[in-house]
Amino acid sequence: MYKLILKLAWKNSFLRRARVLLVIIMIAVSMSMMLVLEGVYDGLVKNMVDKNKRSESGDISIFAKEYRVNRDLTYRIKNADEIKAQLQSMKGVEAVVLRVKADGLLSTARKSSFASLIGIDLKEEEHFGKFSEFLKEGVIDLQKQGAIVGIELAKTLKLRIGSKVVFSTQDTKGEINSIALHVRAIVQTTNIGLDNSAIFIDINQSHKFLGTTSQDAMQIAIRGEERELYEKLKRAFPNLDVKEFLELQPMMKMMQDVMIIFNSVTFLIVMGVVFIGIFGVMYVSILERVREFGIMISLGMPYRYIRAQIFLESIVVGLLGYLGGAVLGAVLLIYLERYGIDLSAFSDALEMWGYEAVIYATIKVSYFTTTFGAIITASLLSVIIPLAKIKKLNPIEVIKADK
Amino acid sequence: MFKLALKNTLFYKGRSTATAVLTFASTILFILYISLTNGSHNAILENSLKIYTGAIEIYHKDYRDIGGNEYLIQNVKAITDKLAKIEAIEAYSTRYETYGLLSNKEHSAASMVAGIEPEKEKILSSLESALTEGAFLDKNSANCVYMGIELAKKLKLGIGDEVAFIGSASDGSFAADIFRVCATFKTGSFEFDSSSSFIARSYFDELMYAKNRASYITIKLKNIDDAEKVNSQIITIIDDENLESLTWKTLMRNMVESMEVDAVFGYISLSLFMVVIFFVIMIYGFINVSSRIKGFGVLRCIGLSKRNIFSILFYEILILSILATVLATPIAAYICYYYSINPIVIEGIADIYKDYGIVLNEIPFDFNLFTIGWNLGVIYLLNFLSILYPYMYINSFGPFEATRHV
Repeated sequence: MYKLILKLAWKNSFLRRARVLLVIIMIAVSMSMMLVLEGVYDGLVKNMVDKNKRSESGDISIFAKEYRVNRDLTYRIKNADEIKAQLQSMKGVEAVVLRVKADGLLSTARKSSFASLIGIDLKEEEHFGKFSEFLKEGVIDLQKQGAIVGIELAKTLKLRIGSKVVFSTQDTKGEINSIALHVRAIVQTTNIGLDNSAIFIDINQSHKFLGTTSQDAMQIAIRGEERELYEKLKRAFPNLDVKEFLELQPMMKMMQDVMIIFNSVTFLIVMGVVFIGIFGVMYVSILERVREFGIMISLGMPYRYIRAQIFLESIVVGLLGYLGGAVLGAVLLIYLERYGIDLSAFSDALEMWGYEAVIYATIKVSYFTTTFGAIITASLLSVIIPLAKIKKLNPIEVIKADK
Repeated sequence: MFKLALKNTLFYKGRSTATAVLTFASTILFILYISLTNGSHNAILENSLKIYTGAIEIYHKDYRDIGGNEYLIQNVKAITDKLAKIEAIEAYSTRYETYGLLSNKEHSAASMVAGIEPEKEKILSSLESALTEGAFLDKNSANCVYMGIELAKKLKLGIGDEVAFIGSASDGSFAADIFRVCATFKTGSFEFDSSSSFIARSYFDELMYAKNRASYITIKLKNIDDAEKVNSQIITIIDDENLESLTWKTLMRNMVESMEVDAVFGYISLSLFMVVIFFVIMIYGFINVSSRIKGFGVLRCIGLSKRNIFSILFYEILILSILATVLATPIAAYICYYYSINPIVIEGIADIYKDYGIVLNEIPFDFNLFTIGWNLGVIYLLNFLSILYPYMYINSFGPFEATRHV
């Protein structure tokens, strides 16, 4: 019997081809657009989070208490090398780097701007966050007073590869100290703070310049995504300021939250309107066949079979729309994941806000599963009201009335 | 045709209600979305313009690209005398900007130190109204420094404290002095508040050897919409190929571009809703006409042309669109108007945005009748487009074939 119902449902689904086709196209187009939007917006945030972690915050960072408020050399971790060794032996820690930081004035012969000097160990940064991938121009090399500058800072000071700059700041003894540096590379981290003001030099050079020792660091950045690691570190270093990524980057947290809210609201509105579309077609499609259903009931077909047939019809329409949307959406997402959307025309503006000029999409299985659930639910719900009307039918009256 | 369309609209209640409700929702959504986008963008731009950047600024060519003392404007007086003759200019002032290191005994920080004309800045910028503590500068302020509150916090300075300045003068020589913090300000832009300080030009010019020289001249207009027109006038009147006069659109190009990008993304998101709604309206229209094929066949048989049929469909959608928009537009316009006067305030957002130099915790809507007008135009266009396929479907039947349609 169910085989017959399935056959009936399939054939009836295409009774009015143009109408059903319109619904299928509507589901497919809206779903694929929604998938692309979700993928692009998620990709935007994912890219920023990933690069922010790799370039600065790591998954967890440790500072001396008060450092983040005062950003002063006084508030440095004075046994950073010991802590680093301790961290490296901890389970769940993938990479650790020490950084020395100082705010000051960066000058060329013509211009000056405030800047943050960051002493780094290039080899360790490469292991920590693939630092070389941030390179926009030049060669990653900090030897012989070489320096790497953030892209926006380079624009502000009109720096090129080979430019000479002087960084001035107060050292640990309170004396104003200056260091001459050669720009070897320009990097774009998409971390707005770094791109606007960072000048990277060799960590040993920074110790010598600032009067700190190799045991000192302003920041210990850690890669390791285990949730327990953060709690473990907080317990292990109660006298230090242990912060996880989203605490250090509230903007990222906000962006993630906004994207989740935006995508959910978009999803609900689109699915709501799609439901209205399917409902309209199914309603008319069922009620214009009332006489047929009346005959089927008169012939002794139980209501449950009619109900199953109508549910199947709505599922067929929803499923075909879903398949169309999933294929179209997947193709577009794969393209955008590989080639991205090129917004180079607005590159200056985008870089100013920490975005890359090419925005890549991301693909998650959940896009397809949640949409599948929503479309099938919308399809099933769309026939509830017509079904209720059918249930109340008096077959004899219906057959007479429509004769 | 109109009467026929009106009767059809009243007869097919289900379709009419669905179309009107969807049009109503899309009209409100569209007007509010565009208003919110434009309002927040305008607020960011106005906020940035109000703080420090002028509607028009005059520079020596290459000052902005290369910089350095050789690109300072010389003989400033001669230029400002010419500017005084332009009616549309409300105020103008010269500024001398340099970067230097500010230090006290324990702390030091880089800062933009600008020599300003305090009396003129009161009209030109929001520097004076940003005062948080102390007294704003005047021409007799001597070595008084007016410092951004975040910079003062960084240097741990209070009112009356002294701070050493080291920089280079306009002739390239070494310049150093002791300033006294007389007042602090908070503009709302974190970057600006943490990196800027101001001195009266009357004192600073002596120190920097900058008399009758300026980094640039900033201009406030009586009406900012006249920026392009006045700018052309300035270029003509100055008549100096070594100088360039730029409007805020060029001065804040990155900001303007980023607003454009944001708007593009916004329109893409909005287009998703519009496409779905368009399809649904089309589907309801299609269902409606497919149930009336017989009727259209009869109309054709009694002499109505294809054009008449199109008119009926057109009038039907026009009636429904007018009904929906007449209800939706005043509601949406009132919401826009209300929130343009009473912006939505999101507490705490300021701290999150501080890295971006923007501290706007108010999100105003934009109330602009022209914008609302073109928004309505788009809604009408979409609704009219939605009848094309149903119309083509009707025409695929001949008159007699249609009368026999089941």
